[in-house]
Amino acid sequence: MLHMIHRRLRWLFVLMMISGCLAITEGHTEAADSLVVYSGRAERLIKPVLDDFQTKTGIQVELLSSGTTELVNRLKAEGERSPADVLITNDAGSLEYARELNLLRPLSLREVDQAIPSQFRAPDNSWIGLSGRFWILVYNTQQVKPDQIKSLLDLADPRWKGKIAIPNAGSEYLQAGVSVIKATNGDERTKQFLTGLKANAGTQVYQKSSQIVEAVAKGQAAIGIVNHYYIYRHLAAQPTAPIAALMPDQQEGGMGAIMNVAGIGVTRHAHHVESAKALVEFLVAQAGQRFFAELNKEYPLHPDVHADPALVARASFRAAVVPLARLAELREPTLTLIEQVGLR
Amino acid sequence: MVTTLRRSLSSPLQWITLATTALLVSPVAYITFLAFHGNAAVWRRLWTTRLPELLWNTVALAMSVSALTFVVGFSLAWLVVRYEFPGRRIWEWALVLPLAMPTYVLAYVYAHLFGMGGPVDQWWHSVFGPDARTPAPQSFTGVSIIMALDTFPFVYLLARGALLTLNVSYEEVARVCGVPPWQTVWRVTLPLIRPAVVAGLALVVLYVISDFGAISLLRYQTLTYAVYQQMTGRYDQTAAGILSVLLVVMALLFLVMERWFRRRSRFYQTSGRYKTIQRRHCGPVGAWAITGLATLVCGIAFGLPAAMLLYWSVAAVDQGALDTRFIGFVWNSAFLSCMAASCAIVVGLPLAYLASRRPTRLNLACLQAAYAGYALPGPVAALAVLALFTAFVPFLYGSVVILIVAYVIHFLPAGLQSLEPAIQQVTPNLEEAGRTLGLRTRETLWLITLPLIRNGFVAGWVLMFLQTMKELPATLLLRPVGFDTLAIRVWLEASEEYYQLAAPSALLIVVLSLPALLLLVSRDWRTA
Repeated sequence: MLHMIHRRLRWLFVLMMISGCLAITEGHTEAADSLVVYSGRAERLIKPVLDDFQTKTGIQVELLSSGTTELVNRLKAEGERSPADVLITNDAGSLEYARELNLLRPLSLREVDQAIPSQFRAPDNSWIGLSGRFWILVYNTQQVKPDQIKSLLDLADPRWKGKIAIPNAGSEYLQAGVSVIKATNGDERTKQFLTGLKANAGTQVYQKSSQIVEAVAKGQAAIGIVNHYYIYRHLAAQPTAPIAALMPDQQEGGMGAIMNVAGIGVTRHAHHVESAKALVEFLVAQAGQRFFAELNKEYPLHPDVHADPALVARASFRAAVVPLARLAELREPTLTLIEQVGLR
Repeated sequence: MVTTLRRSLSSPLQWITLATTALLVSPVAYITFLAFHGNAAVWRRLWTTRLPELLWNTVALAMSVSALTFVVGFSLAWLVVRYEFPGRRIWEWALVLPLAMPTYVLAYVYAHLFGMGGPVDQWWHSVFGPDARTPAPQSFTGVSIIMALDTFPFVYLLARGALLTLNVSYEEVARVCGVPPWQTVWRVTLPLIRPAVVAGLALVVLYVISDFGAISLLRYQTLTYAVYQQMTGRYDQTAAGILSVLLVVMALLFLVMERWFRRRSRFYQTSGRYKTIQRRHCGPVGAWAITGLATLVCGIAFGLPAAMLLYWSVAAVDQGALDTRFIGFVWNSAFLSCMAASCAIVVGLPLAYLASRRPTRLNLACLQAAYAGYALPGPVAALAVLALFTAFVPFLYGSVVILIVAYVIHFLPAGLQSLEPAIQQVTPNLEEAGRTLGLRTRETLWLITLPLIRNGFVAGWVLMFLQTMKELPATLLLRPVGFDTLAIRVWLEASEEYYQLAAPSALLIVVLSLPALLLLVSRDWRTA
């Protein structure tokens, strides 16, 4: 009896040792030779581009998708042990912040200088914008007439009480948007706006832009604030949905539509710098830029690549003038303001 | 005091216990440091803005969910243990099925069904008129019910286990003395199985206050949700640290309360039971009523959501969503969950054993401390583990070891909750008898204690396996590059509203969890 138990014990021990070794090696081996990409963008929208890059260049890509801020925090915690070669985010502020933390490395690439206008990248190219997105209004065409609203700030008007849907306070889009409003209109005006917004939205505070578009399409809310491509993506899937896009703040003296870019940076401690550079070149080239225009309905930053014809033509509207790099420094004060108002 | 301390420190088991406790407590210590190291202004900011609302929301939800789970879990356990009706065997294990259903899936399915334009919404309006308001899953009641549907099996399982091993003689004595049946339940049965029921409720409460997936889908603001928002919205983690510390304090207060409830209640069973339970046969009306109730609970907690997942999965497979990568996801999920559950059992056994056999202050404190990790929200636990790993054992960073450690810290309490009562029910006399008959300590453990607590052992393992399988926030933050699990796949697709594409992964989680559940309820273990 005892003998049997001892034998069983030994087996158990061996089994545990083996799985322990397995556990240590698991994960280590897979990423050794591949280009490791940390991406804060929806996987479905970035993976096809990376797959194409992989087949065209033969460079293996390992993708880790997560939230943008989470990834920056992870890079920070990992320090020089980070396996990441490339950071892709959906927000310029996060990239600028990563640059300030010395997590990214400067690049000198002629292709980048030629393809991407200088206002959409860091001066030393430690991050480079890839595609533009606008934080605009989506409205339900059965409930709202487009001339009823001119500016984002109008949403604070009590007549929209219970009729608007907004993203939650953790959204990078909201934070960047409020930063721009704050830089253009000042603290007091922004605080008023946020207070009104909070009262009008009530419980219609969503985690995802796509949920906001859906709420508006179903008539649960009359107006929502989202990134423009979510509207077109919804319309592409359901062409009869009663929604439309509205470019706000285009009136005389208005601040212009709020713009942000999704971008890329090569990490300070990258192990595969050459492959990483190849990926950057691939994405800023016309073929790569077309992916963002067609797949995700964003505005490509390459001047010679055109946006999807369904979108509001880029030349027909004005963008806000706050430089993208300032989004990083504006973020903490913006967050404090958002919390003071008590947005969820 | 000093001599007892010295004596207890001479035992290697004691050292192991202290070492594991240190490991388990380190993330909490790190977070506490983070919270108090930071700017006092952050505390003030939180207090004046969010804190009162968040505290109230969290406590209220925990209370309403435990009330619901107590009623549902205990009454169902009572019915299946004490009554004989057609299909009892099937219902006995079918009622555990909701454990295999991730709460975030349940939340989404009901948000879809009851949401504007959803099937229930349309039906509601056609019956009650266009102005009637459909009950909202996002309301307090809705969130409570959804959380309770997913967590009542904790109470059901532990209550059923206790009822099965309960000595029926006590109840018979009460009946002989003229106590009416329902009062017997209230005054004899419930107090006797109190440790198990309270342990089940503790699991429920800890689950509710640390849940992230369902809460965020339903947009109900609890402390954990706020922690996640602070963590993903800000680069400065002080606020997340502060909220987490509050959460841990809340959980510990609750656990102290639980101990107080269980005070001086050591219920040893000297043999399996004195008398086998006589199941009462119920007539057709009773049988229909019980079957109806069980069907209702099982249907809304498992059947309906599973059917929805199946329906969506078929559509997704038609779109070509299922490819060879899925084999890898399945393997990763199964491997991780097995490893985490097994490691946690190995780590948890000495803790639970010492706390019930040598309940010194030190040992009890160790056990309590181990529970802290459960209340630490997943993302925060992950952050702490990440920081500690990169500082102390950097070579393990980037492997799945880091994930397993995080899971053990986070889910060990779920295992302890079933290990502990199991050990408590074994009288030390048996071990002492073994020792007097010449067995050594280790032999006593292997020949007497372990076989007797096998029940709790298996239950603990399965509970941890299931929870690891569904775990989301810590996995998101700590997974090595190129290492995705099924839960990650569900999240990646579902968070972008591709619910059809998320369905196959969610369904696979359910399917993988079923064998473990079967193990939990198979006859073998409970007759042991």
